[in-house]
Amino acid sequence: MKKSINRLAALLMTAACVSSLVACGGSTKTETATTAAAAEGTTAAAESKEAVAPTEKSDLAGQSITILNSKGEIQTALEELAATFTEETGIELEVLSCGTGEVPYTKVTSMYSSGTAPTMSILDTTDVIALATEYGLDLSDQDWIQYCDSMTTKVDGKVYSFPFCVEGRGIIYSKKAIEDALGKEFDPASINSLDSFKAICEELRAAGMENPVVLSKEDWSLGAHQLGYIYDTNDGTTAGADKIMAALKDGSQKVEDYDRFNQFMDTMDVILEYNYNKEDPLGAIYDEDAMHLVDGDAAFWPNGNWAWPNIETAGATTDDEFGFISFVLGNDTADFANTSMQASPTKQLMVDAKQSTPEQQAAALEFINWLVNSESGQKGLVEKLQIIPACSNNTVAPLDPLSRDIVAKMADGHTYSSSFVAPSDHWSVVGAIMQKYVAGETDRAGAASEIDAYWQKQA
Amino acid sequence: MNSLGRTTGDKIKSFLMFALPGTFVFVCVVIIPFLYGFYLTFTDWNGVAAVKNLVGFDNYRALAQDKEFWKSMGLTLKYVVLSVLLVNAFGFLFAYFLSGRIKKGQNLFRAGFFTPNLIGGVVLGFIWQFVFSQLLVKFGKSLGIALFSKSWLSDPTKAFWALVIVTVWQLSGYMMLIYIAGFTGLSEDVLEAASIDGAHGWSKMRHIVLPLMVPSFVICIFLTLSRAFMVYDINLTLTGGEPYGSTRLVAMHVYEKAFTARQYGIGQAEAVFLFFVVAVISGLQVYIGKKQEVEA
Repeated sequence: MKKSINRLAALLMTAACVSSLVACGGSTKTETATTAAAAEGTTAAAESKEAVAPTEKSDLAGQSITILNSKGEIQTALEELAATFTEETGIELEVLSCGTGEVPYTKVTSMYSSGTAPTMSILDTTDVIALATEYGLDLSDQDWIQYCDSMTTKVDGKVYSFPFCVEGRGIIYSKKAIEDALGKEFDPASINSLDSFKAICEELRAAGMENPVVLSKEDWSLGAHQLGYIYDTNDGTTAGADKIMAALKDGSQKVEDYDRFNQFMDTMDVILEYNYNKEDPLGAIYDEDAMHLVDGDAAFWPNGNWAWPNIETAGATTDDEFGFISFVLGNDTADFANTSMQASPTKQLMVDAKQSTPEQQAAALEFINWLVNSESGQKGLVEKLQIIPACSNNTVAPLDPLSRDIVAKMADGHTYSSSFVAPSDHWSVVGAIMQKYVAGETDRAGAASEIDAYWQKQA
Repeated sequence: MNSLGRTTGDKIKSFLMFALPGTFVFVCVVIIPFLYGFYLTFTDWNGVAAVKNLVGFDNYRALAQDKEFWKSMGLTLKYVVLSVLLVNAFGFLFAYFLSGRIKKGQNLFRAGFFTPNLIGGVVLGFIWQFVFSQLLVKFGKSLGIALFSKSWLSDPTKAFWALVIVTVWQLSGYMMLIYIAGFTGLSEDVLEAASIDGAHGWSKMRHIVLPLMVPSFVICIFLTLSRAFMVYDINLTLTGGEPYGSTRLVAMHVYEKAFTARQYGIGQAEAVFLFFVVAVISGLQVYIGKKQEVEA
C-alpha cells in the first residue's frame, strides 16, 4: 500500500515537473537540458523556473536552504525577509549568522570543511574571489545580470556572485549641526577641496564647535575604509586600484612617493587636528562617535552608509538631513575624488556549487530572482534591510538619508565605483599602522615605510 | 589485582567494554586532528583550497622569520609569568584567609571570589572592556584622576596590564578553591605537633604548611600555565590585539595568521611550535614540582 502511494506521488511529481516545463516558453530546448543539468547540479534547472512569475508557489516548495549572513546589522531584518520569502514561495530559508568577532571567511571555510556549507553566503568581495572558482555556482547566465552588469564582480570572466548591496563612503555631515553652529545655510557641494574642508572646520571651531570631526579608531575603518582611498582614487576604477597595488607589490611605486598617499595624509592631518577624540584618539568608542554627530557636538564623521543604524540608534530620524561630502584629497576642485564619492557593491551573495543538491541550488537562484524581481523582494531589500540595491530595476526609494544621498549621487554620476581588493589581512595590518599614526606613535614617513613593507611582503 | 579478568580474552573484553568508547572518541577528536594538523604544516594550504601541495619545511622557515610571531611570543611569556605569579599568589592568599582565619561570611566570600570563573571569557572581556574604556574614564574625568582619564585600552602598556588584571580576577577564585582543598587536607596532628615544637607564624608557614601544600601548587601552576599560554577569548574581546596590534598574544597571532592572512600552513606550524613550548614547560613544571612533594 505504502509503496503504491509513493509511486503515485512520484508519478504526480514528474507530471507536475513536465507540465511546468511545457508551460514556459522554449521548453522543448530546456527540457532535456534540465534533466541532464539537474543531475549534474548546474544552473539550468533554475532557469526554467525563472520564467515563472517569482511570487507564485513553485515546485521548489518544501525545499529548505540556508543563507550565511556576514552583515550583522541586517540579521533580524533578513530573518523577517526570509519568512516572507517562505510564505510566498514555500521554500524554507534559514538565516545563519556570523557571531560578533567571528570572521565570515573563517566561518564559511569551517562550514565547508565540516560538510555543512550554507546554500548561499553573503560575503565580502575578497572572500568571494577567494572561494568562487572552487565552491561558487557560475551565475553568468542569470537573467538579473542585465540590471546590474556594471556592478558584478568577475572571476576568470565569470560571474559567481550576486551583488547584494551597494555601499558608499565619504565624510558624513550633519546639516543641522553645521547650520545650528554657523547660523547659515550649508551647501555640501561647496566642500570640494582640502582647503574648503579645512576652512569650514575652522569656521565651526570659531563658532564654538571646538572639534567638529569624529574619527573612529577601529582598524577596519582606518585601514580599509580611510586608507583604502589611496587605492580607490588612483583612477576611480577597481582595475586602477589593482594597478597601483601591483605597483606597490613589485616595488615600482613607493608609498611615500605616491601622490594620493600624500594627499590622503594631508587630509588625515586636518581630520586629526579637528578630531573630537583628540585627547585619546584610540579611546574612541564607535557607538559614541555616532552620538557626537547626532547630538550636534560634531559635524563630520568619515564613514559610510553602513553607519546609519548607529546614527539612528543614537537618536536621529530618517527625516534628518545627513549626507556625504567627498573624502577630499588635495585642492584640485575638478578632481573626481573631490567631486564624487566612492560607491560600489560590497557584499556579494554566492551560491554553493559543491555541497547543495541541484534542487537547493535552484531554490537559491529563485531567492535571488525573488529579491530582484518581486515587489516584496525589492521592497524588502530597500526598506527592511535598508540597503542600496545594485539592480537598476529596483526603484524603491531608500528610507535613510545616507542611502538616499548615495542613490541621488549615483543617478547624477557623482560616484566612482572602485572597490579595491586587497589581501585578506590588509585591513588588520594596515589598520594597526594607521592606529599608530593616529595615536602619534609614528609619523608619515614611518607609516609609509611600514605600508611599503607590508606590500613588499605580498610579492 | 586481576579483578577485571583472568584470561587475555577477559581483559580484552573488559577493555572493549569500559575503555573503548572513550578511547575511540579521544582518538577521533584529539589524536587524529593533531596528526592531521601536523601534516598540514608541511603543505601550502590556504584553509579552503581542494589541493594541498607539500612544501617540506618551508612553513617552519617562515615561522622562524615571522617577526610578529616572536614579538607576540615574547609578550605571551611576559603575560604568562605575570599571570601565573599573581593568580597563584592571590588564590593562595584568599584560600589562606578563607580556610579558618576569617569565619564570618566565609562561604559568601568563597562564592564571590569563585563567581568570575563561571562567566565565559568572551562575556568577561566585553564587561571589562566597558569598565576600562568607559566606566573608569568617566570616574577618572569627573574626579580628575589622570591614571583613569584616558582609556586603558588605548595605551599598549596599560592595555597589557588590563589583560593581566582581568585574568587574575577570573582565575584566582578557581585556584583559591584548589588551595582551600589543600588546606582542608592538612593534618591537624602535624600542625599541632609543629606548634608544640615552637613553630609559629612565618616559620610554621615556611617549613610546615608550604611543603605540605606542594601538590596543590603543582596542580594550580599547571592549570594557570596552560590557560595563560592558550588564552584567546579575553584577548579577543577585551583588547582585540589593539592598540595597533601591540597586545596580540600568541594564540591570537596564530589564528590571524591562519585565517585572516590565510596562510594556514604557517599558522598551523606556529600552533605546533606553541604546543611543544607549552608541553615542555608544563611537563618540566610538573616533573620538578612532583620532586618537591613531601609526605607528612
